[in-house]
Amino acid sequence: MVQKPLEAVWGLTDQPVLALEPRDGSCRVLYQNAAASALCPEYENPLEAMLDPERQALLDALGSGENTGPLFCHLAKSVYAARIIGWNGYRMCLLQEASAYYNATQSALNEAIMASQAKTSFLSEISHDIRTPMGAIMGLTQIALSQPELPPRVKECLGKIQVASNHMMSLLNEVLDMSRIESGRVVIQPAPVSVADLLHEILIVARPQADAGELTFRLEMGPVVWERILADGVRVKQIYLNLLSNAVKYTPAGGEVDLYFSVQPDPREGWVRMVVRVKDTGIGMGSEFMSRLFTPFEREEKSTVSRIQGTGLGLTITKNLVEVMGGSIAVESRSGEGSCFTVEIPFETAPQDDAGALEALGGQRVLLLDSDPKESGLIREMLSSLRMESDWARDADNAVLLLNDADLSGDPYFAFLTAERVPGVEMMLFLSEIRQRMGEDFPILLLSENDWSQTEYMFTQAGVDGFIPLPLFRSRLAAGLRACTGPGLPGAAWEEPAMTPDLSAKRLLLVEDNELNREIALELLGGCGVRIETAENGREAVRKFQQSAPGYYDLIFMDIQMPLMNGLEATRAIRALGRADAKSVPIVAMTANAFVEDVQNSLQAGMNAHIAKPLDMQKVFETMERFLGRDAG
Amino acid sequence: MREYQRAYLAHLAEIVELNDLYGHMPESGAAFLSWRRENSLRIREIVGENNAMLREKLFPVLDDIASADQEEIAALEEFALQLGAGGANQPDLTLNYTICCALITYARKWGRRDMLIRQLYRAGLALFYMQEILDRCGQARYRWKMGLLFGEAASFIKRYDDIKDVETRGYIHRSMGNLSLAYSGANREDAVKKLDAVRRSLQILNDPVYQKKTPELPWELYIYVSHQERSSALNVLRAGIQDPVVLREVMESAQFVREYQERDCAKRGVKPMVRWSLAYEAAQYHCGVQPLGRLLRWLEEAYTGRDPRDYSENGIYANISLPGLYSDYISRDEEFKVKKKDIVLHMYRQVARYVREAPEDQARGLLTKYLLLFLESYVEYPDGILEKDFLLQIVVSRQPDAYVRFYLAARITRLMAARALKECPQTLVGVLGCESVRQVRERQEEILQFAYDSGLFHDIGVLAFNDMLVKLGRSWLEEEREMYGCHVYAGEFYLGRSPSTRPYVKAALGHHAWYDGSGGYPAEYRREEDPGRAVTDMVSIAAFITQATDDTDPKNPRPLSLEQAVEMVRAQSGARFSPDAVGLLEGLEDVWEAGRAAAYEKAYRILKS
Repeated sequence: MVQKPLEAVWGLTDQPVLALEPRDGSCRVLYQNAAASALCPEYENPLEAMLDPERQALLDALGSGENTGPLFCHLAKSVYAARIIGWNGYRMCLLQEASAYYNATQSALNEAIMASQAKTSFLSEISHDIRTPMGAIMGLTQIALSQPELPPRVKECLGKIQVASNHMMSLLNEVLDMSRIESGRVVIQPAPVSVADLLHEILIVARPQADAGELTFRLEMGPVVWERILADGVRVKQIYLNLLSNAVKYTPAGGEVDLYFSVQPDPREGWVRMVVRVKDTGIGMGSEFMSRLFTPFEREEKSTVSRIQGTGLGLTITKNLVEVMGGSIAVESRSGEGSCFTVEIPFETAPQDDAGALEALGGQRVLLLDSDPKESGLIREMLSSLRMESDWARDADNAVLLLNDADLSGDPYFAFLTAERVPGVEMMLFLSEIRQRMGEDFPILLLSENDWSQTEYMFTQAGVDGFIPLPLFRSRLAAGLRACTGPGLPGAAWEEPAMTPDLSAKRLLLVEDNELNREIALELLGGCGVRIETAENGREAVRKFQQSAPGYYDLIFMDIQMPLMNGLEATRAIRALGRADAKSVPIVAMTANAFVEDVQNSLQAGMNAHIAKPLDMQKVFETMERFLGRDAG
Repeated sequence: MREYQRAYLAHLAEIVELNDLYGHMPESGAAFLSWRRENSLRIREIVGENNAMLREKLFPVLDDIASADQEEIAALEEFALQLGAGGANQPDLTLNYTICCALITYARKWGRRDMLIRQLYRAGLALFYMQEILDRCGQARYRWKMGLLFGEAASFIKRYDDIKDVETRGYIHRSMGNLSLAYSGANREDAVKKLDAVRRSLQILNDPVYQKKTPELPWELYIYVSHQERSSALNVLRAGIQDPVVLREVMESAQFVREYQERDCAKRGVKPMVRWSLAYEAAQYHCGVQPLGRLLRWLEEAYTGRDPRDYSENGIYANISLPGLYSDYISRDEEFKVKKKDIVLHMYRQVARYVREAPEDQARGLLTKYLLLFLESYVEYPDGILEKDFLLQIVVSRQPDAYVRFYLAARITRLMAARALKECPQTLVGVLGCESVRQVRERQEEILQFAYDSGLFHDIGVLAFNDMLVKLGRSWLEEEREMYGCHVYAGEFYLGRSPSTRPYVKAALGHHAWYDGSGGYPAEYRREEDPGRAVTDMVSIAAFITQATDDTDPKNPRPLSLEQAVEMVRAQSGARFSPDAVGLLEGLEDVWEAGRAAAYEKAYRILKS
């Protein structure tokens, strides 16, 4: 019945034609002309002869009514282009022999893919290769700049070299990152991360950038429902810092950059969502450019943009990373009116161990002095969540009244928590008077959003026992207050390492194959007096360690890529030695391969930490202090 | 006491004498001028001698107080006690405070607990009086410190049994009671804090355990004073805050004080103090027990029964505070305001006379205090005594040399304004709301008067510091300089209430602000927001010149000549002073010496009237 009218029309053509009826994700062949039947005589119809992916693509097109682009099917030894059309209520599939066309385009596509892969590989290789001499340039520039009595012109030139090489290094890193993303080699490695540390590390980079750009930087804290998450901290920071540095770059001096940060509940049990918004009052983007915003190497063609350095890769990398983490990124912007990026990323929660804090602090009463009612409310909520009681004073008069009241009623406060600035009172004077009034054993803690190392001396002189950094996190508040529960005065809530620790009693082994890099490291590390021995490759390092007396080396700095035996193998070999200090000697990776995978690999090999080259001396000293400083001097 | 300490105190007494106008008025304005100059020369001599004594003898001891011997410390304690004697009339409030602080350091260092408690109390009390001056300027700089000092002294209640000295135990109780002194604002929050502090103090004072432990202490007096303090929360009720707890406790304390007074006065055969009787009557009104008319009648009767020559605390209260409170209460009802106008004006005339005739004696501090409180409720009738005229009378009466400065500043400002009208009228656009040069020209007479009055009233805030200034016998301490800086707020406050004085608020607030904002004070004055800034700029210059050249002002150690002062103004053109205004400085010589003589003549006439 069905076949007659179809045959009347389609039976006359020698082009293979089928009439198909979609059915539950599959389809039924209602009719096939003789040309179609002849294509694959061993099968009932050509559909059955098709490769699975090709058949599925055809079914998808059938479901939607018609196909918009060519569908190629391999049937027998030929390639056919399939086209779906509607005819008298039937869905007809017309097959056209296209082997020559297909082979030609496929070859061009393969060439393009190969060319792209070659480009990516080339960029990656060349970037990697350029990084090593760049490291030398940067290190030597640092050494040259530290020389006394440089002629002004030389100093100026060196300064410019330093700026340019820093920029070049950041470009190289972006290109490398992009190549890794394109090649699918980006691996997200979640580990327990403190949200407080994460934000702190973002702020210590972003704030100075905004200051340098003469911008007003504001942080608005939203709710933080959980403070430990399973995240790839390095990659998460990369996302936010990229958005922030863009905001700073594209906002003229005098403008504003607002960062909103929150960790909100997620419908899934054991998950939270980090919602971060970066808003600026910068140059913004036009709607046309917005559609290409996340495309690699895209930059809007504006005179204001062309003066700003960049690869156009940052946002592409950011978007890819956000998506790899299962999150989303949204942008609102208008040309000349600034931009607003909102990133939402889900994270699994990590356990928060606060039983100790609750036990130590529960039931204690704190006086809070802070003129900002909103901020005070949040702090008091946190205190309450630590099962602590609190009273709030919004000015100095009220604080004194409450301190007196508590003291005279025989129920004194456990500690005094105060903002750094309170209107109408000179805080240094006020705090020193509070110290006099309340005695030496009464804990006074300062909430500070500034770099406290700048004001630490003055405030401790005024009687402050410790500092709790803002923005405030429950964990940090608990840590600061818990410090007051131990014997003696609490001291600072956390310690900042000294710039140049005295490590003259310590000995380290520097393992580095590149002579120039060795020279740079020796000069930079020598500043703190530590005794340094060197090894040119992993094998020599293992031998030197084996031949030394137990405890001879206090620290090993290990390059990764070396001839004969690389740093990872050398570390495994040292850790496998049967002597006691083989397990305990700190081994720190020192390499230009500063990607997360490298860090993970070095940790898995038994190393304790990782420092990226070119060496940032502040980080080197921090690391040395961490492993050597505890009993140094 | 040491010899230098006695000499210092004697010098202070001499200064009070030299500043006393009443009964020492010469026969003419010219004689008045030379008398003031002679006196100021002597005061300047005294200040020099005192400075030298303090530098040589006192400050080295204070610098190394921990090493001072017992005898030195005992002398210091006595000296501080004398400097702080007389409550609000302390001969040298700030030096007393400074020494108390040093003694606290000493007591802490050597573990002298009784001395520590005593000095904490005394330092707290000194701060209370310093804060009382700042209250007149709406500033609360010393409140928290006062709270800490009294609080620390009071906290020794926990070691009461370890403290054997009765006097020290007394200081603990008094400190606890004085914690309420830190809360004097006419607002609910302060009232609640004050009442809390009094309640806690009364709880201990009424505790038989403590009374048994130290029967020697005047418990009844302590309790009475606590009730007095609590009934002073009446100012909160007057400010319209109807809090049932405040009402009940104030009423309770007013009743207590009244009954105590009646018993005590009957015993001693004297009249009860009008202040506490009023507290009872006013509490009755605020609690709704009696109507406003009855309270007003009571006030009229009490005022009629006053002695107009009584300069005791009770007398000052009756002569100055009763009219002030009367004004305050009639302002609550338009009908009473109209009906009682003649009574109010009569009272104001009497107040002016009373203040004019007041001797510079021990009561000067109280007089200033009550006078300034009186000004807070001044009612200005358009056809009555304008507040600006009343203020001038007060300035002449209390600080005639300051009046001369004001007068000279007024003449200089007017001179500059006249020149501006002639040479650069466009700079006056904005003054008095003039929107164009044409309007400026049309209103030039008004502008000249405004310039004159702005100069005349710019420093009216110094009234708040009258008692501190007239007895000052040495160079300023840093603390005093900072306190004195608040006179601009006091000026803003006093001038801001009545229509006749309101136009001069900006000149009072902004005359120490710098033209380019790089210095000066206060931060609250923003030149760009002052439509009359051209005149305020002129006042700043006039104020600088009159102050810098004033040779009757002992806190001005090296008075400049007019030429030197003008030279300094020119040197600071563009920074401290407006270049436009500096350009108008010509022909001051014409108003200078003659102006000074005329000012003294005018002051003399007012004082003699």
